[in-house]
Amino acid sequence: MKCEHIAELLPDYLQGRLSAEQHHNVEAHLEQCADCSEEVVIWRKLSLLPDEQPSPASRARFEALLQAYQAGRSSQAEGGSEWWKRAFTWNRNVFHWLRSPLGAAAWSVALLAFGVYAGLQVAGSKSHSQDLQAMQSELAGMKQLVVLSMLQQQSASARLEGVARSTRDQQLDPQVLSALLHTLRYDASVDVRLAALDALSRHGQQPQIHKAILDSLQQQQSPLMQVALIDLLLEWRDPDAPQRLQAFQQAPNLNPTVRQRVLWAKSKLN
Amino acid sequence: MLQVRDGAGETLGVLFDRYQTPLFNFYSKLTGDRTLSEDLVQEVFLRILKYRHSYRPGTPFRAWVYQIARNARIDHFRKFPRQTALEPEMLPPVLPTDSAQEQQEVELLQRALRQLPEEKREILLLCRFQELKYEEIAALLGCELNTVKTRIHRALQELRKAFHQLARDTMLKKVEAAAAENIPPRGGRHEV
Repeated sequence: MKCEHIAELLPDYLQGRLSAEQHHNVEAHLEQCADCSEEVVIWRKLSLLPDEQPSPASRARFEALLQAYQAGRSSQAEGGSEWWKRAFTWNRNVFHWLRSPLGAAAWSVALLAFGVYAGLQVAGSKSHSQDLQAMQSELAGMKQLVVLSMLQQQSASARLEGVARSTRDQQLDPQVLSALLHTLRYDASVDVRLAALDALSRHGQQPQIHKAILDSLQQQQSPLMQVALIDLLLEWRDPDAPQRLQAFQQAPNLNPTVRQRVLWAKSKLN
Repeated sequence: MLQVRDGAGETLGVLFDRYQTPLFNFYSKLTGDRTLSEDLVQEVFLRILKYRHSYRPGTPFRAWVYQIARNARIDHFRKFPRQTALEPEMLPPVLPTDSAQEQQEVELLQRALRQLPEEKREILLLCRFQELKYEEIAALLGCELNTVKTRIHRALQELRKAFHQLARDTMLKKVEAAAAENIPPRGGRHEV
């Protein structure tokens, strides 16, 4: 049997899906052919590759995602009355407008109109406190949608605006947090990444955010970002700062100015 | 899965426990980036929630999940094209094993895998680590069963070549380093 024939059978051989006769034929060939038998060896060796474990924070992020999703679903299910349906459709329209260049203006107008509408509803009946609460949470959801949608815009200035808006709330919504961390790591514009760093560092007292920010140091290529993160390490007096700086200093092709900053930061820490 | 499809979000927790590690390993072995892999795993579960109604009962759930996982990765790199190739520094740490030789082999194998073009790395990961059947992979990639088998064989061939090239290079470097220090390589004779 030649290698070409074996090539057809080998994948099934590897998964033990050959008939006894075919299996025997392949084994006979493998005994004589070094190349083919090495392929089998490599296949088996692949099992040596270690299984990695995701970080424990991953489960927490998932829980937050699920909660946010379920909260969204239940408020959607409660919206039975006519005005509520209208408001809900309206929200969706606002979201679509935001994708247009008139987004910011439309958002302001819609919010104002929504506020007036809400005011009228509340003035009309005092028993609507539950509705009001639902509407407030819906408003918070809208704000979140605005930020999330802006962070995905083509134009860097729109993304900057999105980052700026995310700083208006004391508490970061998990989805916004996730989007900001993504921006911090992958945004094409260094200005947007710097703004994201600034926005996130306000929440640096939360261990999960603290760690995610500092972890991004190893991924940043831009000297501006690297220097900003080194300064943050120093400012926070992070217990791992010396090790992080030491590891970072080993990075190849480190900009001389950044290297100086690392040395300066290390001397400050000591 | 049927419960998830019909709206029981809590059931998704069970699926998360079952699939988070395999998905994370699929991404981390494919991209070499732990942080990105964790982000993509979250994205997969968000999509499972969003698109759960598109799951057809009776079809293999695992294949459906990996379809979502592939799309999530493709969409990510469409939005954020990669600027750098996979760096060896991004390789996961090799856990200490009983034998130093085995440890070295694992390192070489990881590097060889990284050298493969992404589609070849992906198909090997799908069949070797994610344990998808060839038929499922064919459905996933939208090709014939025989094409899948041919691609697996070619990927394996390439992996073998890359592995041996790396092994040779490593050996040469060791010999050169030993010569530079004027120390004979292990097993060699010291001639003065």
